[in-house]
Amino acid sequence: MSKPFFTVYCLIIYAFLLAPIAVVVIASFNAGAFLTFPPQGLSFRWYVVFFNNEVFMRAIRTSLWIAALTMVISGIIGTMAAMFYVTHAGKLKETVRVAMLAPLLLPEVLTAISLLFFVYSVGLGTQNLVGMIVGHVLITLPFVFINVSASMESYDPAWSLAAQSLGAGRFTRFRRIMLPLIKPGVIGGCLFAFIISFDIFTISFMLKGVGMSTLPIQLFDYLRTNFTPEAAAVSTCSIVLTMAVVVISEKVLGLRIHRF
Amino acid sequence: MNASAKKRIGPLLLIAPAAILLGVFLVLPYLNIVVMSFRMPGQGTPYGPGFTFGNYGKFFSDFFYVQQVINTLWIGFLTTFICLVLGYPVAWQLARGASAFRAFGYALVLSPLLVGIVIRSYGWTILLGNNGIINRTLTGWGLIDGPLPLMYNALGIIIALVHVFLPFMILPIMSAIQGIDPSLESAARSLGASKVTSFRRITLPLSLPGIQAGCILVFVLSLSAYVTPSLIGGLRVKTMAVTVVDALIDTFQWPFGSALALMLSVTGAIVVVIFGRLTVMKWKA
Repeated sequence: MSKPFFTVYCLIIYAFLLAPIAVVVIASFNAGAFLTFPPQGLSFRWYVVFFNNEVFMRAIRTSLWIAALTMVISGIIGTMAAMFYVTHAGKLKETVRVAMLAPLLLPEVLTAISLLFFVYSVGLGTQNLVGMIVGHVLITLPFVFINVSASMESYDPAWSLAAQSLGAGRFTRFRRIMLPLIKPGVIGGCLFAFIISFDIFTISFMLKGVGMSTLPIQLFDYLRTNFTPEAAAVSTCSIVLTMAVVVISEKVLGLRIHRF
Repeated sequence: MNASAKKRIGPLLLIAPAAILLGVFLVLPYLNIVVMSFRMPGQGTPYGPGFTFGNYGKFFSDFFYVQQVINTLWIGFLTTFICLVLGYPVAWQLARGASAFRAFGYALVLSPLLVGIVIRSYGWTILLGNNGIINRTLTGWGLIDGPLPLMYNALGIIIALVHVFLPFMILPIMSAIQGIDPSLESAARSLGASKVTSFRRITLPLSLPGIQAGCILVFVLSLSAYVTPSLIGGLRVKTMAVTVVDALIDTFQWPFGSALALMLSVTGAIVVVIFGRLTVMKWKA
């Protein structure tokens, strides 16, 4: 293959990857009542409709709450597991890694179904958020684990030993030696957990309580029956929110987030 | 408790929360779903008392479900194949191309992963619908008389699934190619091999582990995809994952839904194992 041809080919694939997302963003500024292309004039009309739609606003609040809770729980459990993996796992290292990545490797739909049955069987019920948050923590845990353990790659156990020989206790060693080293990984992992949780659909769909919904679920329900550009406005806000988190963490905080 | 025991138990406390979480909320539920698939269907309840093989009997006796598993496997196979063909050159470019282009391309390949699956599928409904952009443009140019059937069929599902899972094909292949020592390729060229020969004999075989990982990932993900087939396929074309979720949410047939989900997973796993064996054999040969 000649070089220009090759470059053009790659650009076409990139355009293909971006097309549906770009289309949604453009559609959200449509002034008309239906999704038509080219848009019938530009306006923020559908954003106004969206911001006044209590159903969507409530769904956004629910999503943000769940994402925040998930981030905290997943961040703590994942960081602890990564510390064990790097410093203490020994022969079990590979087992721990596979187990921690398992939620990522198993099909989400099967995890969602089995979790629904389990939560129902043990009587946790679907009237509260417990099942859903457990599901979100399971799915986001691998991302925290990957990021924290990657940030500990250069960690030398001798540093901790040196601190210990100088009289530092377990907690001081964690706070003064380990934490500063893994901080970028922890923050990166937590932010990524937040984004993933904000976008999770299948788990939320199966485990949602009666009469409650997250933003992706609300959008999905809306799209089954409605075709107005309001859904595009909702989607664009959601895209902007996640992109903002990524840009802030990578450009402002200078973090390198590991996605795989 | 003496000091040495304390020293051994201390680190275990670090892994304990994760172990409990995964044990209780991942391992137990997966065992539970196997048990569930043998339960009696309930009257007015999700499941009844007692056990039966009837749920699997129902699956094998009704050609509709077997056909649906075959359709789902076929859609997964085509999605994987198209992803591989489209993705390989991009992965190569990201691994070996000019560096300015590389960072830009890498960001572009990763960015769709940050947009929720519902939104990406929605974008495809805008593009592919009967009144969608593609059909309107083609009609406007006078190339077609009526709208092409791009949505509510397998074609639309495959187009959207390829889009959703293409990054999962590109990234493993990219890292496999990055791991190949470039001097191997230059050595082949200096010994007189053409560009094509050096690619066919050096780069392609050495990137096989990446191809294998990407193919398995995309295949498994497309078998279990729910949102995309549901929004693009509508009520007309259903993949197995859609049927399973509908059977559980709408009609509360938990035991039968479990049996369907497990049949799909088991057939998917068998395909993956066969594929793994075949590619390893080819790799050795």
